[in-house]
Amino acid sequence: MNQPLPVDQGANAAIQRRSVGEPLTLDGITHSYGDGLAVDDVTLQVAGGELVALLGPSGCGKSTLLRIVAGFLNQSQGHVKIGERFVDSLPPNRREVGIVFQNYALFPHMTVADNIAYGLDARGDSRSDQRFRVEKMLKTVRMEDFGDRKPGQLSGGQQQRVALARALAVQPRILLLDEPFAALDKNLRLDMQIEIKRLQRQFALTAILVTHDQEEAMAIADRIAVMRKGRIEQLGTPVEIYDQPETLFVNDFIGSSNRFEGEVLGREADRYVIRLDNGAIWHIATSKTFSTGDAVLVTARPEQLVLVDQPYDGAFAVERTLSLPLGGTLIHDVETPKGATIKVAAPRRVGEAAPPLGPTHCALTENAAPILFPKSAG
Amino acid sequence: MTHRNTISDQSYSVVMGGLATLSVAILVGPVIIVLLTSFTSSRVLTFPPPGFSIEWYRDLFDPVRSGHIHSALANSVWVAAIATALAVVVATAAALAMARSNRASARALEASFMSPLILPGLSYGLAALMFFSILGFRPSINHLIAGHLVVIAPFIFRTTLASLTQFNPALLESSASLGAGRLYAFRRITLPIITPGIVAGAFLAFVASMDNVPVSLFLSNARTNMLPIRMWGMMETTLDVRIAAISGVIIVAVLVAMVVMDRLTGLTRRMSM
Ligand SMILES: Nc1ncnc2c1ncn2[C@@H]1O[C@H](COP(=O)(O)OP(=O)(O)OP(=O)(O)O)[C@@H](O)[C@H]1O
Ligand SMILES: [Mg+2]
Repeated sequence: MNQPLPVDQGANAAIQRRSVGEPLTLDGITHSYGDGLAVDDVTLQVAGGELVALLGPSGCGKSTLLRIVAGFLNQSQGHVKIGERFVDSLPPNRREVGIVFQNYALFPHMTVADNIAYGLDARGDSRSDQRFRVEKMLKTVRMEDFGDRKPGQLSGGQQQRVALARALAVQPRILLLDEPFAALDKNLRLDMQIEIKRLQRQFALTAILVTHDQEEAMAIADRIAVMRKGRIEQLGTPVEIYDQPETLFVNDFIGSSNRFEGEVLGREADRYVIRLDNGAIWHIATSKTFSTGDAVLVTARPEQLVLVDQPYDGAFAVERTLSLPLGGTLIHDVETPKGATIKVAAPRRVGEAAPPLGPTHCALTENAAPILFPKSAG
Repeated sequence: MTHRNTISDQSYSVVMGGLATLSVAILVGPVIIVLLTSFTSSRVLTFPPPGFSIEWYRDLFDPVRSGHIHSALANSVWVAAIATALAVVVATAAALAMARSNRASARALEASFMSPLILPGLSYGLAALMFFSILGFRPSINHLIAGHLVVIAPFIFRTTLASLTQFNPALLESSASLGAGRLYAFRRITLPIITPGIVAGAFLAFVASMDNVPVSLFLSNARTNMLPIRMWGMMETTLDVRIAAISGVIIVAVLVAMVVMDRLTGLTRRMSM
């Protein structure tokens, strides 16, 4: 990871006026465009200095929610609170909410320096203050040599740094990022993700990041809110969202997983005994309640499955159809007698090659924690 | 296969090349003929000129012999300048208002704002004359300005609206999120970005006003003589060669202005929008 930049102390103190960002509270936000409900009763608390990612498929209302926080849209219902203050009646230019768009929206007719100085000039800072701050911001985003360029003469990543510097120059209380990496290629994207995380930490910014890239959300968010059809489906840390998805939608949206059908046989200690349709018996812990005879869906991530030579009651017969050594992992595609394809991922030992294809058995790894859902949820 | 393609390719480029040459000839030919004629040594408008002389330009610039032409030119420039200045304000405001709204009423207003471009100029001139006489006004230079304003504003309206439709609304949202008010955003963002469009429209509007016959015909009187009308009068009576000289001066002035403006704003690109 990158070190914080050796910016000199005075400037840093000026930029870091607030040592911890202010909390943001969304309370029962609902918004409809005409008759379509775009955001449906969203309640979310973002702590000061926290970065929350809004993650969800296209059209689930992420941008709409962001625009409500910024003040570009007035919600039909609910309240937005920044710090201790309700901002619902404030116009966007008085909310002190910075925003970075996917296409950066830099002012094309101004130089980079003038872009960054824009907000400072608008609020009437003196020329010398402006120049001082612009220089600090250019240094912060490592663009010292580009102050005199026009946005059209910059690469995508450079434009994004300028957009960030411009938003941060006025010390917003909240920073909103609407798919800021979508226009960047993969390597640059990773650099910028690290960069944004670094700045967000350095300035202790309260931030919301909109994305539909789950890896991106997992990588830089403190918490993730998975959205679906205008609602928050699940809110939690990246690890919680990945390991304990509360709904099938979240389970399928984050990472990849295998799905099995089965039936509850009973309960043993803190675990339900499940017989899968393929014959295997699995013992699964859950906080949900089921009764004997319930039809259930079981999901297990590829790394929670293992291929075994000998059959036993926790394993089911499969045919290995494909094995790919992907770096340190072996990915197996196996097929059940009924024709369903299952993905199994196992760590690859040094020198280990893909085993021969053919019949074998599939079971859970020792520490696997598959998830139970009622069959009706699917 | 390849052979046939080559033949059709060739005939395509022959036909297109021929058409292009023809259009250029039709467009530029008359201009060259007028320019050549203006340097004639003859006493009448003839082509080709029998000899070279700048006598007619000397005549044209002589304040005594061409005083009436100079005053007509002054009138025309004055009317065009004032009408263009007013049209810039009116048309820009209208374009800003209409770009912001997507209601059907805005579309209807847009159409009515553009209608002077489509309406035959003579009908409009007559209508304006009747309108002013019903209101009890007598023809004056102010009415000329008002009449010209209506017919030239659409040029500015159109180019400004075109530059506004290419305007990224996220720029104004960014501006607001940086704490800037609307007026500040207008001054620092909207205006600089649409200015080339306004300037291009203003140029077209000025030329259109200088060139306008129908409206001037109905609204001018003996004292508010306009240049195109005066030229027409000279044509009818004497076939005065000074008409060619005036045309020559105007052509050169417009060409110079266009080159300068193109350098400044990319005018030719915007005029076609
Ligand atoms: N201006 C608008 N007028 C009408 N409906 C809109 C408008 N903007 C968005 N919508 C609708 O509201 C819903 C949510 O849109 P929104 O832009 O918030 O989605 P999103 O999650 O940001 O999607 P994406 O990932 O594609 O950007 C969508 O169904 C969309 O069609
Ligand atoms: Mg969006």
